[in-house]
Amino acid sequence: MSAPTGGTHPEAKGLYPWLDRRYGITPLIEFLKHKEVPIGSHSMIWYYLGGITLFFFTIQLVSGVLLLAYYQAGESTSYESIRFITTKVPFGWLVRSMHCWSAHLMILSLVTHMLSTMVLKAYRPPRELTWITGFLLFAFALGFGFSGYLLPWNELAFFATAVGTDSMKAVPGIGEWLLQVMRGGTDVSINTLYRFFALHVVVLPLLTVGIVAFHLIFIQRQGMAAPMAHDKPGRGMKFFPDFALRDLLLWLVCLIALASLAVFLPYGPGIPGMEWELGKKANPLAPAYPGIKPEWYFLWVYQLLKEFPAHLFGMEGSQAAIALVSVLFAVWALVPWLDRDARSNRASPAFTDLAMAALVFLAYLTLKAWDIGGGDGPLPDVRAVARACAYWGLVVAAATVVFRFAMGSARFFDFTAAAALQIVLHGFLGVSYLAAGAIAVLLLAVSLGVRMLRSRNAARATVGGAPR
Amino acid sequence: MPPVGEKINRRSLLDVLLAIGVVGWLASVLFPVLRYLKPLGVQTQNGPIKLKGEELSKLEKDHSVIVRAGAARIVVFEDSTQQLRALSAKCTHEGCTVQYVPGESVIWCACHNGRFDLDGRVLAGPPPRTLEKYSCTRESDGSVVVQLGRGPEAA
Repeated sequence: MSAPTGGTHPEAKGLYPWLDRRYGITPLIEFLKHKEVPIGSHSMIWYYLGGITLFFFTIQLVSGVLLLAYYQAGESTSYESIRFITTKVPFGWLVRSMHCWSAHLMILSLVTHMLSTMVLKAYRPPRELTWITGFLLFAFALGFGFSGYLLPWNELAFFATAVGTDSMKAVPGIGEWLLQVMRGGTDVSINTLYRFFALHVVVLPLLTVGIVAFHLIFIQRQGMAAPMAHDKPGRGMKFFPDFALRDLLLWLVCLIALASLAVFLPYGPGIPGMEWELGKKANPLAPAYPGIKPEWYFLWVYQLLKEFPAHLFGMEGSQAAIALVSVLFAVWALVPWLDRDARSNRASPAFTDLAMAALVFLAYLTLKAWDIGGGDGPLPDVRAVARACAYWGLVVAAATVVFRFAMGSARFFDFTAAAALQIVLHGFLGVSYLAAGAIAVLLLAVSLGVRMLRSRNAARATVGGAPR
Repeated sequence: MPPVGEKINRRSLLDVLLAIGVVGWLASVLFPVLRYLKPLGVQTQNGPIKLKGEELSKLEKDHSVIVRAGAARIVVFEDSTQQLRALSAKCTHEGCTVQYVPGESVIWCACHNGRFDLDGRVLAGPPPRTLEKYSCTRESDGSVVVQLGRGPEAA
């Protein structure tokens, strides 16, 4: 095998020629010099979200390693060592606060990144695998959140993990086995923490770094997706240095924002599902306390578990709820193949609409989980919550419509209309959440069927009318 | 496997043997790993449980206490007629720990708002099954004993 010689003279001195003679890095530099980022009609901000997510992940790696210097997993040490970090170790509170804030911000930027990919149809061929690797990273991020949650071994962690792992029993066939493997026993105990600790600090980071590498290689090989209307090579921005420097500047802004939040709100903004006061130590013999809630990005699943009745279609309610969530995730993962229009490079407002409907659906469940408008009593008034959240849910729906008009993608509203209909039926007319959902899905199916028939007839008419 | 009707030659036979070898090798690696991860069975407690001193005083003070029975948890409580009762403390919905609400005479799970009556039957909310019931008695010396195991008393 001949050694790469790159483009430099064999006698040239210096580090670059030395490296180039051995590894042939000149073509790589040439590639970077010519790499361009397409400039679309839409705001460029969407192109930076992946980088921001990666930045927050890097913060997680660094602050995570720092936390490991003091954290001790164990029945009588987990809680105590976190308390030691936040009260005794110099800047320990800052490191933990950065780790928590950055975790939430990472999920936020990741989800925004994914939604923007959906709206701009960047998943269309040949970028299906970029979407799939991104979807895996999204799943890993949720896994990080879930496993990291248990590590302080406080009350909240204990019950969140009890509920979260319990849903594993819904997996057909191997559910019980999976449940026991995750928990390291029949119930949540310190054995569960040991397993989650290994998952959180070894397994998930390795998997994530590996998949991030693929995600980035795919993007480097194919370039960033051009906006639909601009598929012809148009204007571009030089990746290096123009785009890279903007990236860097934005990371600096993110770091400043993160540090400010971590300093001024060290225990989070105080929104249920986005706070990390250590609280009381986990006690397996204490009952779950009122108002217990998971992290904000799991709230919709939590609320769905509450909305499902004890039994549905011969399944237990929680099983049916988890089955529904699994189907929704599967549809989301397969979008690059489902979106036929985008596959053949036509505008596909239906999938923009689907993304917006997903947003409205998630927003309504999340608002309900926060018991907005539930009064001051010990137990919130469920009807009042459904009604108050319905107003806000419709505001979200209206905002997506305005957004789509601004984006110039306002042609298809069936999905959003169905999501809004469910909110109206449930919030204002008092129909149960599931019945309202069923009615909305039924009407959605009818309208989609009519559209399909009409387009088929139109196609037939064109073929018959113009025999060419 | 070679297509039907084609003669099995040396190459395809080797391919099949190789495939069997790879599958066998994977199985021999995976089996110990999976077996390793499956937790050891926990000892199940079948005999009666006698409440300890601090548990008794908690029962006295709060009208209820949650005690451990092997891996399971049991809520022992005193209803408004001073009768002692014992139910599984693990909500049948998603496994949170339930609590006795003396004011309303219900068993309540704070996680997803499930409600049970004092015999463990579901009153409202998402729980799919009743809580298991145990017999609980106060002995003549004042100690409290919970009988475990599915007995006729669970009716």
